[in-house]
Amino acid sequence: MSDARSRRVAVVADSLLEPFLDELNREGFGIIQLPPTDLDPETASAWLEQTAEHVAEFRRNEYEVVLVDDGAHSEQLERALTALGVAPLPQYAIQPPSTSRLTPDT
Amino acid sequence: MSEAPKRVAFIAHCLLNQNSKVEGGALRPGMWEPVIDLLRERGYTIRQMPCPELAFGGARRFWGVREQFDTPLYRQHCRRLAKLVAAVIGQHAAAGDDLVLLGVDTSPTMGVEFTCSSPTWAGKPDIGDEDDSTLVPGDGIFIEELKTELAERGLPEPRATGIRHWFVDYDPDEELQRIGALLR
Repeated sequence: MSDARSRRVAVVADSLLEPFLDELNREGFGIIQLPPTDLDPETASAWLEQTAEHVAEFRRNEYEVVLVDDGAHSEQLERALTALGVAPLPQYAIQPPSTSRLTPDT
Repeated sequence: MSEAPKRVAFIAHCLLNQNSKVEGGALRPGMWEPVIDLLRERGYTIRQMPCPELAFGGARRFWGVREQFDTPLYRQHCRRLAKLVAAVIGQHAAAGDDLVLLGVDTSPTMGVEFTCSSPTWAGKPDIGDEDDSTLVPGDGIFIEELKTELAERGLPEPRATGIRHWFVDYDPDEELQRIGALLR
């Protein structure tokens, strides 16, 4: 069955969503947004819990899942993942700028 | 929440993450760019809602119609996620933010103006040429539960519409005009 999904998912801090959106899209990542920092703690906790459930399901099915993190919810996210038996996520490697413009015209 | 009112769009999970679609449903590798681009152009803050179907049925779930999902247990699950979304909506509403919601108008779960229906889908998942499913006016299960949760909290419903990229007569220009009219 035809399906365009990348099987690549980035869990992205709210503060980094806008700066990384274009790059992650070029790399074919789908995004799971982490809670904004101005949410009340109870709501942020519930958000992280459901994020961990989504991540667990993707990892269970061998999707690549990476973290684009600003540290705001790192410990809480890791606890939520651990509770579901999911190892900490690898950090997304920021892509270097394209060097194509440095290629001389021929 | 910050003091200056913002424009905030609550969007179906799959608009930012096509990997959450049912197998066969992803039209793009990562995200549904036409809508994301429009929201960014209009200065909307994005708030991604959870995907109830992914969390409940998993990444390898079968396709389904509204009648199959409409069980007490699935509604409980949707209500749990709706409480989270309603809490976020509540904080934005209290800040005076302008709120919109974008669902998916073929989904048994995230449909806003249309959802999918069949009187016969059941059993072995090989409907084939005998597919009698249709799109009918109405909400998906999650959207219905979210509206109920918002009403119980005395919160306003965001202005809402649904993405229609799986309609047979899908018209991208109509969609952008419709969503554009929803945004302020």
